[in-house]
Amino acid sequence: MAEMQAADGENSNYDYATHKPVVIEQDEGLCTAEADEYFMNIKGELGQVDRLVSDAVNNLVINFKYISKLTKSHHDMVLAIEKMAAPEGSKPILELLEKQMIIADKIEQELEMAITSLQFGDLVAQLLAHTAGQVEALNVELQHIDRKGVWKEDAGKNALGAIQNGISKAAEIAKTKSKKKPVVQQGMQMGDIELF
Amino acid sequence: MAKTILAVDDSASIRQMVAFTLKGAGYEVIQAVDGQDALDKANDHQVNLVLTDINMPRMDGLKLLELLRKLAHYKNIPILILTTESGDEIKAKGRAAGATGWMVKPFDPKRLLEVIGKVIG
Repeated sequence: MAEMQAADGENSNYDYATHKPVVIEQDEGLCTAEADEYFMNIKGELGQVDRLVSDAVNNLVINFKYISKLTKSHHDMVLAIEKMAAPEGSKPILELLEKQMIIADKIEQELEMAITSLQFGDLVAQLLAHTAGQVEALNVELQHIDRKGVWKEDAGKNALGAIQNGISKAAEIAKTKSKKKPVVQQGMQMGDIELF
Repeated sequence: MAKTILAVDDSASIRQMVAFTLKGAGYEVIQAVDGQDALDKANDHQVNLVLTDINMPRMDGLKLLELLRKLAHYKNIPILILTTESGDEIKAKGRAAGATGWMVKPFDPKRLLEVIGKVIG
């Protein structure tokens, strides 16, 4: 970013000694304080999402385990009452208990299905780490361009070309096998199984 | 006597879901937080099956697989991979390192138990 400065304080955009405008470069590179802050903010927000998701998953797992424990107790209790209510004349009670047992079985089935959905936290955490890595790679590449100084020497096409090359390079690194996206799943349906 | 499964994953929620599923089916479960932890625990316990993630800090699942296969007790023990990764290249690496099977997350508890039952009988 360029800014005009006064030679004698009368006009901030003009040097009265040389009769030319004065240009002072404050932030000469791509990695300005603003850019650093921008990258730090992205990383901070990705970290915040990670912590929020992790916290939510931990709470959900605690809830899940507690509901599962209660369901098992309920199931056992219905079985115990069923045994006690066995004598003749208790048909309505037995019918009610049978209905209770069906409900308990359905709750257990639903809980089993929730096991698959509750794994979302792991997928999200890995995607966030992958995205944070890509942001970091772009930041490093911009710093590399700054260090080369191409940017300062030629403010025209060359500088633009260097930026574009750098961004392409960062994108290419992101595509290489070592940086391969660890999660390609688009939903929480069960994954494939292959026995070797 | 219940069979023992070593479940390895750096995600606490995945470890808990795996343990919940396996314990519910009558298996003993030992949990490990990464490859190094798993290797230490594998040496201390008689394990019938290892179920491991790939992407983990300190030691990843492929390295763990490679090191376990060098131990006499783990030469023929089933080692299943449970990971988000589904690429052919990484699967081939797992296979070459001696993995028994590859399961992509998220897992379905019934299918997980079916596969485990199939490989440890």
